[in-house]
Amino acid sequence: MRVLIVEDEQLLRDSLAEQLRGAGFTVETASDGEEGLYCASEYAVDLAIIDLGLPKLPGLDLIRKLRTLGKRFPILILTARERWQDKVEGLQAGADDYVAKPFHFQELLARAQALLRRSGGWAQPVLRCGPVALDPRTQEVTVDGSKVELTSFEYRILEYLIHRAGEVISKSELTERLYAQDFDRDSNTIEVFIGRLRRKLDPDDRIKPIETLRGRGYRFALERDTAA
Amino acid sequence: MATASPLSATPLPDGLRARIEQPRSLSTRLLASVSVLLLLFFGVTILALDFLFQDLSRRAIQERLEVHALALLSASEEDDTGALRPLQPAEPRFENPGSGLYAEIRRADGALIWRSGSLTGTGIVFPIPRIGERRFGELAGTDGAPVLALSMGIDWQFRTGEMQPFVYSVAESMEPYYEQLSRLRGRLFGWFGAIMVVLLGAFALLLRRLLAPLRRVEREIEAIEAGELDELGTGYPRELLGITTNLNALLRSERERLTRYRNTLGNLAHSFKTPLAVMRNLLTNASHELPAARDLDAQVSRMDDIVKYQLRRAAASGGTGFGRTPVDVEQNLTALREALLKVYMDRGLSCELRIDSGATYSGDREDLTEIVGNLMDNAFKWARRRVRVSAERLTRTGSRREGLRLIIEDDGPGIPETSRASVVERGTRLDERVSGQGIGLSVVRELVQLSHGSLRIERSMLGGARVEVEIPPA
Repeated sequence: MRVLIVEDEQLLRDSLAEQLRGAGFTVETASDGEEGLYCASEYAVDLAIIDLGLPKLPGLDLIRKLRTLGKRFPILILTARERWQDKVEGLQAGADDYVAKPFHFQELLARAQALLRRSGGWAQPVLRCGPVALDPRTQEVTVDGSKVELTSFEYRILEYLIHRAGEVISKSELTERLYAQDFDRDSNTIEVFIGRLRRKLDPDDRIKPIETLRGRGYRFALERDTAA
Repeated sequence: MATASPLSATPLPDGLRARIEQPRSLSTRLLASVSVLLLLFFGVTILALDFLFQDLSRRAIQERLEVHALALLSASEEDDTGALRPLQPAEPRFENPGSGLYAEIRRADGALIWRSGSLTGTGIVFPIPRIGERRFGELAGTDGAPVLALSMGIDWQFRTGEMQPFVYSVAESMEPYYEQLSRLRGRLFGWFGAIMVVLLGAFALLLRRLLAPLRRVEREIEAIEAGELDELGTGYPRELLGITTNLNALLRSERERLTRYRNTLGNLAHSFKTPLAVMRNLLTNASHELPAARDLDAQVSRMDDIVKYQLRRAAASGGTGFGRTPVDVEQNLTALREALLKVYMDRGLSCELRIDSGATYSGDREDLTEIVGNLMDNAFKWARRRVRVSAERLTRTGSRREGLRLIIEDDGPGIPETSRASVVERGTRLDERVSGQGIGLSVVRELVQLSHGSLRIERSMLGGARVEVEIPPA
């Protein structure tokens, strides 16, 4: 999942980026509103964390512009302003949630994950597809209740696929979501990781969770379990 | 021994108190002053005219009497016996009793020579002046009717060359004079009274016209208070322009000041809280190496709480809403409902709004958003499934602005009775706050107090907390 952080305070931006990377996100950063607008239009973004008090283009205007441009990804506001009027205006402008400064990273992470989950059409915190269950809060993956050990990169690929379960996701989209913009990309790596995931999730080749559509990409094939 | 002062002991009569307490109208004062001035002016004028008329009339009578006396004198002749005898006077009135014109000739020793027929029975006694002297004055007859009389002492030289003193006296009844005088006075009073009524009427009309802009100012200020107008209109006379433009400038600067103030507070919050956020993030990262990280984090929370509370309090407008259009409660609450449903989407709560149509809040929009936002946020936080927000209009006859009752309910665990009082009580400070109540309720309490309203916490029929805010009509 690729997160865009638009925050003018460098220390906060850097430490937040570091923590989010630690939590398994691909992170892009921007230090002002205009840069934020550029990043959001240039890269595929799954979630934006936007500070309201931004130089050049204020946070509220940035959010409005993003929505006008048709960007549908969830937006989490960081605000130092406590007045309800500011919160309501931010939410009306197109944001989906807010976190007041100073925040605890765990709270921000939980909100971010909830927003991502909701944007993927998931109502429950644990994403279940047939026997496969993924909990973004603990980054735990189980198949039929037994835990599966995944590396960080494997987890990120699986999380993205399950998030969009049922949709076809191209290799280039996966690459884009999983690597930072300045990363040296190699699409063969994706194939390697998909192969490893298949072996770990389905050692007996029984449930066939990930489908390959030739020339188009991958699809997480197991049906979403909405009742759980 | 000290005694109670009679002033404080005796209550003022109601009428007098009403007169003292009621502010006197400018036009009544002006009309009263002008009436007094007109009365003084007309009074002096009437007195002067009266005096002038009396003086002129007396002089005219004196001149007439002199003519009569001289006519009598010229009609007098020495008869054959050598005595003085008037010829038949030319004026026939001398001979008619009650004609009002009298005459008499006496010798200086008082012996009567001749008297007019009209004088009979009047009892008029003329004075006897010395020779060459004239006496003019009022005399009274036996019937009490006053006359004006002229007596002149003269020396008559007989053909023998002998000189003998005589007194010629004529008098005229004052009745016609008094009649004229009273007629004149009647006319004067009539005319001046009519003129005064016309003048006062014209003056009252003029005042109405002159004071019309002032009444317009009053009406427009009322409309501003009721929130129907933003500021005073244009087209006022030059003399009032100073007041109206200054008042408008005051209203505008007051509004701008609040906006500027809030922006400054917002910037202050931003520039203060971002470093706090940095500190907190660094502490989270360093929590493994730094044992004091948890304590430091608690201090960050404390600083944040203090800033949060003070800034939100400081941003309150003060509740009067003077010069602002009333806030549409439904629009405001609907926006809050949508915002909160978005934020609490995962909880799957329902939020019902019951709003009297046309309900308004006569104050600042941000204050209302702050009050309801905090209360609804609490309700959403604690609710199991349902939140209900009601807004009722409160009216009172004679009030310029409507009141508002807001009820926010949820089906959560509710607020324990023991902590309700401390939430509502005036003067509970931030550090005395019941833990878990959040800063929101303290801010709400302050805002409601600024709007002269009241805050009540009860148990809702839904099962959870029921917070009622009542802002009375004003």
